[in-house]
Amino acid sequence: MASKTFEQTLDLILDAGQTMLENGGEVFRAQQTMEIMARSLQLQEFHVYVLTNGIFASARPDGGESLSMVRHVPTISIHLGRVEAVNELSRELAEGQLDLCGARQRLNEAQSIGSIPPRAERLACVVGSACFAYLFGGALAEMLVAAVAGLMESAICQQFGKRRINRIFTDIIAAGLCTLWALGVSIFVPTLDVNTATIGALMVLTPGVALTMGIRDIINADYLSGAIRLLDAVLIAGSLACGVVLAWLIGRGLGAML
Amino acid sequence: MTLWMNYLMQFLVAVVATISFGVTFRVSPRHYLACGITGAVGWLVYVLCTGLLSTSAPVATLVAALPLTACARLFAIRHKAPITIFLLCGIFPLVPGAGIYYTAYYFLRDDRSLFANKGVETLKIAVALALGIALVCSIPLKRHKS
Repeated sequence: MASKTFEQTLDLILDAGQTMLENGGEVFRAQQTMEIMARSLQLQEFHVYVLTNGIFASARPDGGESLSMVRHVPTISIHLGRVEAVNELSRELAEGQLDLCGARQRLNEAQSIGSIPPRAERLACVVGSACFAYLFGGALAEMLVAAVAGLMESAICQQFGKRRINRIFTDIIAAGLCTLWALGVSIFVPTLDVNTATIGALMVLTPGVALTMGIRDIINADYLSGAIRLLDAVLIAGSLACGVVLAWLIGRGLGAML
Repeated sequence: MTLWMNYLMQFLVAVVATISFGVTFRVSPRHYLACGITGAVGWLVYVLCTGLLSTSAPVATLVAALPLTACARLFAIRHKAPITIFLLCGIFPLVPGAGIYYTAYYFLRDDRSLFANKGVETLKIAVALALGIALVCSIPLKRHKS
């Protein structure tokens, strides 16, 4: 294998792994996908180690010295459509339907699968919050309050995400504001069940992703990655709790002043 | 009769709630319904357990996580897609969001016994959820190709 093709191949495989990891694929899936791709592209002595936020890989060209590459994946934003596309790509590669060029093109296509418009995301948050308020025993009033709180949360998450503000801080502010909003409405509508409305809105922020991925990593014996994700889950839960406590404190302070 | 209507409503709302997570996670639209059903099955089993059998929340979560994960695996095979797609969205109704909220709430009320109760229960629910997923995910399936 010529050294240029060799480098391109290794690059392609790492890109595929990175795309998977960045968009919410599990550690073992990224690893497995990369190994399958390497085997299909006849890469010799391919070894890879994947963590939640990094990929280390090395391979040796025929008669040459081995080459290693490292990728850092600092931020993960969930885009399952891309994960699925890369998965599909590796399957087709294994079945011999794609060559190197074709695979590169498919990967570029996978990476450019657009995200949904922000408006649709906000709508999803609103609907989700309202539905959860219903599931936790809320009536129409709680659903409406939760829906508005969901809208605020998604707007905050989008704006803070754009400005690269710390995730923990974002969660605290979002949880705090939606609790404060529910408390504020309850002054005017005394029958409102503040707890139900707030929980409905909070469900959108809960660390379901980190929890599930952490568990799955641990089942697959990636203990380090699993521990990172579970820690993430605990941190998110803690910051939600912080937000709620802060909002109640502020609400109580304002109530005492009035 | 109205009882069953109530459960039907719960199921349908859970479908919508789960799909809205699918939208934020940019799942491709052909999986929306499968995601929704996965989440709603888990929620329905949970509600039935706590409502009819009056089991505690952690046990109900464990029981609900089993069919939920089985559904996710089934859809993953049928749609030839990674199981993550269905599991990530479907798990959300069972995540102890209410537990987190009440733990914070009782912490603030300075009600130590209820605070400890809720805190431990939240942890138990999370562990039960983990156990449920782990149990079903670990069942080996026949490999269709070597």
